[in-house]
This record gives sequence, C-alpha cells and structure tokens, in this order.
Amino acid sequence: MSTAIIDARGISKVYPLPAGDFTALSDVDLRVEAGEFLAVVGRSGSGKTTLLNLLAGIDRATAGTVTIDGTELGTLSESRLARARGTSIGLVFQFFQLLPTLTVLENVMLPIDFAGGSTSAQRRTRALELLGRVDIAEQADKLPSTLSGGQQQRAAIARALANDPPVLLADEPTGNLDSATADSVLALFASLADSGKAVVMVTHDRDASGFASRILTMADGRVSTDMAVLA
Amino acid sequence: MTESIRTRRSHRMRPRTVKIVRDLRLSSGRVLVMAIAIAVAVSGFGAILIAREALMRDSTLAYRDTNPAAATLDVPGGVDASLLEQIRTLPGVADATARQTVSTRVLVDGSWLPMRLFIVPSTDSLRIAHFDVESGEWPATSGGLFLERAATGLLDADTGDSLTLERIDGSRATVAVDGRVWDAALPPANQERTGYGFATPALVERLGYASLNDRLLITVEDASGAPSRDQARVDEVAGSVAAWLTADGHAVHEVTAPPYRHPHQNQTETVTDLLVAFALAALALAAVLVASTLGGMLAAQSRQIGIMKTVGASTGDIVRLYATMTVAVAAVATALAAVPAWFVGIGLARLVGSILNIDIISAPPGATTIALIIGSGILITLAVALSPIVRAARVTVAEALGDLEVRADSGRRIVRALSRLGGGDRSAVLATRNLLRRPRRFMATVTLLAAGGALFLAGINTSEAWTTWVDDGLSKRTYDAQLAFAQPVAVSELAAALAESDAVTDWESLVTLPASPASADGGVQVQRIYPDGGHGVFSVTAIDPDTRLVHFDVRDGHWLRAGEPGSVVLNQAAATRLGDPDLGTAVVVSVEGRTESWTLVGVIDEVAGSATAYVSTGALDDLLGGPEMATAVRVVMPDATPQAIEQLGQRLAAADLPLQSTVPTTELRTAIDQHVTVFIMVLVALALLMATIGALGLASAMTVSVIERTREFGIMKAIGARSSVVGRLVLTEGLITGVVGFLLAGALSVPATGLVSSTLGRLAFGLPLPLVISGGAVVVWLVIALLSAALASSGAAARSARLTVRESISYQ
Repeated sequence: MSTAIIDARGISKVYPLPAGDFTALSDVDLRVEAGEFLAVVGRSGSGKTTLLNLLAGIDRATAGTVTIDGTELGTLSESRLARARGTSIGLVFQFFQLLPTLTVLENVMLPIDFAGGSTSAQRRTRALELLGRVDIAEQADKLPSTLSGGQQQRAAIARALANDPPVLLADEPTGNLDSATADSVLALFASLADSGKAVVMVTHDRDASGFASRILTMADGRVSTDMAVLA
Repeated sequence: MTESIRTRRSHRMRPRTVKIVRDLRLSSGRVLVMAIAIAVAVSGFGAILIAREALMRDSTLAYRDTNPAAATLDVPGGVDASLLEQIRTLPGVADATARQTVSTRVLVDGSWLPMRLFIVPSTDSLRIAHFDVESGEWPATSGGLFLERAATGLLDADTGDSLTLERIDGSRATVAVDGRVWDAALPPANQERTGYGFATPALVERLGYASLNDRLLITVEDASGAPSRDQARVDEVAGSVAAWLTADGHAVHEVTAPPYRHPHQNQTETVTDLLVAFALAALALAAVLVASTLGGMLAAQSRQIGIMKTVGASTGDIVRLYATMTVAVAAVATALAAVPAWFVGIGLARLVGSILNIDIISAPPGATTIALIIGSGILITLAVALSPIVRAARVTVAEALGDLEVRADSGRRIVRALSRLGGGDRSAVLATRNLLRRPRRFMATVTLLAAGGALFLAGINTSEAWTTWVDDGLSKRTYDAQLAFAQPVAVSELAAALAESDAVTDWESLVTLPASPASADGGVQVQRIYPDGGHGVFSVTAIDPDTRLVHFDVRDGHWLRAGEPGSVVLNQAAATRLGDPDLGTAVVVSVEGRTESWTLVGVIDEVAGSATAYVSTGALDDLLGGPEMATAVRVVMPDATPQAIEQLGQRLAAADLPLQSTVPTTELRTAIDQHVTVFIMVLVALALLMATIGALGLASAMTVSVIERTREFGIMKAIGARSSVVGRLVLTEGLITGVVGFLLAGALSVPATGLVSSTLGRLAFGLPLPLVISGGAVVVWLVIALLSAALASSGAAARSARLTVRESISYQ
C-alpha cells in the first residue's frame, strides 16, 4: 500500500454561533496519494472550502487529525504551520491573491525567500523556470494588475510551486476565468499531478472535475461519494 | 494604485525588501505624515537636549574657569597685606585675596540705575574670582573702570566712553570706561537691572568712599591639600577663618559661601528639565501617531499578510518585515531632524547663554545626547509601533482572507440617540456609526488629538498665567518707586523734604537692613549670597503694619499687626531659606552684628522680592541708633516718569538725603520678564509643536479611514450615491472627531495646565502660578481642531471622489 501524502482522519469543524453551533464538516476521512488529482465538488455550503482550509492549515479542526507529508498540522504552532505551508503545501485561490506591489517574478520568489537557504540568484533562476513552466516567463517583470486573469492564475500556480511542495491545494481556481482559460489551468493541474504532486481542487464546476482523477462529492459537511475517474 | 508603482529591476534585493520599498512608495502620503511627525518631534526633543547639554557644559566650564571665591568674609576693619599672608597659612585655606565692593548709582538716559563696583587692587594677581579682559589694559587708569560686558548694553557705554557715577555725597563724577571684561560668575546686568564694573582703589577715592579691602575672598583645600568645593568643607574652613579673625581682634560681620554653580544655573537646569519633559511628551505623541497610522496601514494590508502566511511567512517574519519598514521611516525622519535639531538647539543654547552671560561653544553633542536623540527617534517609535505590528502579524490566514466584520453592538446606544436627534439628515448617524466601527482607532485618534490639544492649551495657558501672575504680584505694590538712602535718615527730615514736593501724593518710610539667618545661640550662619549682592541675599525690613502701599497675599498665619511687637512675617523665599519654620516658632537672624529673635506669625507670597523677613516699624530702631529712622522710602507719584523720579532724587539729595538706589516698580517687571521670557517663548513653541502633531494625527487617521473603505465607497457609488454624498460623510466623520478631540482636550488641559504652571512657578520663584485658562487659546485650538479635521477629511474625501467605481471596487 502506497503512503498517503494527505491523511485526514475523522475531521470535524464546528463554528459556535449566537444561534447555536454550526457544523461545517462532520467526521470526514480523506487520504490522497502522490499523483492524484482530486476534485472536491458540492453545493455552496456543503463544506468543501472548510475541508480545504483544514488541509491547508488555514483553519484548525474541532476534532480529528490532518497529516500532510508526514507532519500532523494540529500539533504545530501558527509560525511552524506557516513554515510547513511554505515547504509542503502550495495554495491557489479563486482571486489569485498575488501581492499587488510585487512583480510576477517577485511574487514567485517570495515563498523561496521565506523558506530561506537560497541565494538571490537561486531564487531568480527557480522562479523564472517555474514561470516558463506555466508559460508566462515573458510577464515576469510586470505587476499582477497588468496581467489577464488566466495569466494571474498561472503566476499564482507558479508561486504555489515555488518550494516544490508535494501537495497543491486549489480553491475554486477557475471560478474567475473564462472557459478556455479555465481549461488550460485545469490541464496544468493535471500535468502537475502526473508529475507526482497530490493535487486537491475545490470546485462547484462539474465540468472542471473532468480533468480530475478522482472526484469527492460533499453534502451537508459530509462526504457523500468518493470515486475514481476512469481514464 | 498599483498601476502607478514603478518596478525598477531590483533582483538583487530580497522580495520582502522590495515589498517594503514599494509599500512605502505606494503609501507615500501616510509615510510622509509619519516621517513629519517623527522629524518634528525629534527636532524639538533633540534641540532641547542639545541646548541643555551645551548650556550645562559651557556654563559649568565658564563659571569654574573664573575660580570663584569659595567663601567671602566681611571684615569691616579691612584686611591688609600682612594679615592676608597669615590667612593664607591657615589650615584648609588654599588661597586668599582681599578686595572691596562699592554700591553706588549710574546715570543712564536721565535715570539712575544701581551700580556695583568690584574694587581690585592693581597688585591682585586675579587667581581668585578671575575675569577675562576683552578690551583695554587692566588695571584701569587712575579713576577709570572696566565694565562687565553684559552691562555695556544696559548702560549704553563701552570702552572709550564715559559714565556718570554718583559720589557718596550725592554729587556726580564722570568716570572713563577704560575697557570691558567678562566675568562668567556674574548674572547679566540687563536682567538684574544693575551695572557691574571693575576698578582699582583709585576710583573708590574719587567717589568719596574710604578705600578699604574689607572683603576677604578665600579658596579651600581638603585635608590632603587638594582644592575642595565641597560645601561642608568650605563652610567649615570659612567658619574657622572667621573664628581665627575674631580671636585675633578682627570683627567679622558676614560669612557667605554660595553654591559652586552659576547663580542662574539651577533655575536654567530645572526649567530646561521641564522643557525636556514637554519635548518628551511631543515625542510620545508622535510615536502614538506613528503607531496609529501604521495600525491603519497594516489593517489595509491584512489580506497581504494573510497571503504571505499562506506562502510560508511566520508571524516573526511579518513582524520583522514591518518593524524594518518602521525603522526605515524613523531612521530617515531622525536623520532629517538632526540638522534642525542642531541649529535650533545651539540657537536656543546661545539665547539662554545670554541670560547666563555665558559663551556657548558650538562643540558637537556628546555621545549620550546623540544616543538619546537616535534612541528617541528610532527606538521609541519602534517600541510604540510594535504593538500594532504584532497585532497585525498575529492575524490568522482565515481572518486575513475573510471580510472585515462590523460588530453589531458598536456604539449602538449613541447611534440610536443620534438617530432620534438627527431628524431627516442621516449624515451624522452614518458618520458616527462609521467611526464606531473601529472604536479602538477612533479612541486612538481622539486621544492623540486631545493630548496634543491639552498640551497646546497647557503651554499657552501657562504663558498667560505667567503674565497674570506678574500683573497680580506687582499690583500688590501700589507705589511707583522705592528709593534707598545712602545712609539712614530721620523720618522727620524725609517728611519735610517730601512735603515740599507736589510730585509725591503718598509715601511710606521703611528700614531695610541686610541680615543673616542665625542659630539660636547667636552664632552667625554661613550665608549663600553671590558676589553680585542680589542672588542669595537675605534682609530684614521694618514696615508699618497698616501699610497702604503693599498688600501681599498671606499664605499662612496673618500679616503684621499693630500692637504685636516681636512678630515677624516671612515671604516665601525667606521661609524656604529658613527651612519653612512653623508659625509660632522663633526666627533668629543676625543684623548689624546683633542677634535678633522674633516670633513667626505669617508667611506671605511676594512676587519680585528677595528673601525678606518683615517686622513692625520700630523693631530695628535700636540698630539705627534711635527711633523714627528710615533707610528707604516708597513713593506714589501721579507722574512716575524716570525724569520725575530723578527730580525727586535730586530734591532729596539737596535736602541732604542722598540716595543709594532708585527702583521704579516698572523696573521690577522688566527684571522678572528678562529672567523667564525665553523659557516662555520655548514653551509656546513646544505647545505649537504639540498642536501640529495632534492635527497630523487626525489627518493621518482620516486618510487611513478613507483608504480602508475605498471598496465600500465604490459600492456606495455603484448603487447611486454621488461623490458629494460620500464627501459629506467623510467630512462629517472628521468634524465629529475634531469636536470630540476638542472637548476632551479642554477637559484634559485643566490638570495639565495646573501641573505645568505649578512646576514652572515653583521652579522659577518658589510660588505656583495661578490656574489660568486662556479663552483665546481655547478658540485657537477649536479652530485648529476643526480646520485640520475639515482639511484632512476633505483631502481624503477628494481622493475618494477621484476614483471611479471600477477602481474603487477593484481596490485591494
């Protein structure tokens, strides 16, 4: 049996609200292995973004454990969690979330800088290589605001890959893109999974899941179906 | 916006450094506000520190360079060369010399001013009480004099001119000014309203006085033979010299050993300390402003902080990032402040140096001062900024990437009350609600504005309190001039002379004699009188208990009463000198070589008076050889011009009542004002600095508030709000903040004024200044608060109005 890069066991998330506790996620188990491209689908409020936030260490589970690449996130302090994200998890958001005052190249260099241990030249070489890999090397010295949505999302993906993390998590990465651009981004995710990354993508777009190797459907904070997609 | 950022290739820099640089450039307005606030405050603080250091250093050096006498003994029989030689061999005496001091008058523009002449034998080597000759050849020619340099302005005379001095018989002598000297141990003549000159015994004889070296000046050494300025050792040696002289048959009337510091130094030191405290307050305000502005900037960067955390930045990384940014701004601002701090500081030091009659050498500030300036500019700013930085850095990714939520209960009651009052206009309600959305920031802005305003008002109030205090103090004296006689005169002769003059409508005679606090066993205590004869002086004045010409406020007990012989009333300076004795205790003083004891019945507040013990008329009769004698007269003159007072003096001299000094009451005011005007000016300047920082704080807060809500304003416009509506909303928010800040400043200014006024008054003259609230200052502060609120918010509103809906909504 191969080792799961992502191993979530019995995770729940409960939000205390004035009207009473709200359970966003209830007793979910999930294992994702290297090379898998998992699409998490479901209606709005089904708990898929909550699941992604728990996997990314953005939020902490009320119950259960999340282990990424052998490290249990629940035991880490906020700062060590940030370090773990920097080296083990690449995150891609719907609205790209690039830093507006840094160029595309500098945005990609930033995670390498925070991870430490590299020279200026190494950072630059690595970032240019990644930008080339996502086909926007010529945009390297531009500010994010001057790029199209698709180019910004590619830059965000390059940034997510900056420290060569084994896990890539994406939250509605095509939600702000036209269909042609969305398809090219999804194809990029698929190729990354093929290269050995564990890719988890939250989407409400059923078509987007067509690029995935596995589809997990959520409803009311629970996993309703989990099935592999036959090639 | 982001389009405007120039991305020069900066590949060698770390991305986080690039971010700092670009963020600073993008927020140039707010960064400028922060930098200006720090630079202004550090300039003020640095200037005060530099001035203080230069003053303390140069005044100490200059004073010590004169090698002032450690103690001076009044030996009425004189000290000849042979006696002097014996004194030099006494244990503890390091060196000794004998001189004479003559007090006469000098005619300036038709008015007589006191003139103190220091008579130095031409053989004196000037080892003790040294002075520098600035022009002319010392010793003076036969009958000429050298003026102390600070007296040249007061007397309008310099080397080569001549002066009219009064002889002992009241006649005039024209005396050549042979040169100019600098005696750093003397206070400036213009402040004391007294001329100081140096001459040889030849001038004494020309003026008709007996030439007699009756002032014995000694310096002291410790048991090992090293020079000593220890006050206890000086007192001990001076006492033993006095005892030796007395045992050897030489009477000693007075022993004085002033502190080993310039007569104005203590006052200067304590007042500059007060200014340092004010400057520190300005610095603290600037630091709070920086923290508040930075807090706003960081709030706007919350999403970016979240993004950085998602790509691996720890809380420590974020703290270091923004701390570096803060240090960069503070360092630049501190560097910018260095030049003005230096020039203002040295300028201030020179100004105050002129009060001390001290030359300020423009030496670079010492390591401590430089460290304090840099530390204040950078470290204090960083220390205060760390709180918002850490708070912002601790934000979780989930919080940072989520939307800012409004607490539903923020100021609900206030908003509801405003809704009831507001009628149809919702601007005030909306503005209040917006302000209360971030109660912490609103409180910080209001506090900054209120603190700046309170200190501004306190500064102006104190300067007005000073004027009021002097006005009130001088109004207790309803006479126009006090004339002191060269010798005690019979009151009957005085009355006869005044009866012939229609220039005087009322008068009272009094007896004023120099005295020394004494111990109960009659032993003469060592006095602390400086060579100028004014600072540290103590006197006893016999006055009519039912006086019509002075009405001092009684602080404790009661004023003198007729039929209560043996009573004494002390003014505050005398009470302090005697250790604040309790009412009913005995006050023992030595007057004219006799020990007198009176019972203390009251303590009064006296503005413009040296340490004085007041006794009833007749209490000093025995000392003057009989009743109905006077040493001075206070006169009321409907036409109290200098000319009229001079004519009165001539009339009295013609009646064989020659004067030693004439002091118009207006001269008292000039003397008091000269002592503190520069400090009051600096206080007002610091007050304006506070106001500037407070206004900058408001401007910064309004700008941050508008920038933060750019997206919100875009949405408002998208659903139909006109730019003018948004502008009015922002303006209303600014005005509400301004009004609240103004009201709080008014409330806080009362205790602040009390504290500053009380401290300044006690430091300067031993009396607290009255609590004065300046109506003018309140109006000025209201205008400043509202104007800066209107300007700051209209500027921010204009910026908001310029943005299109698309730009506003896409703002991040």
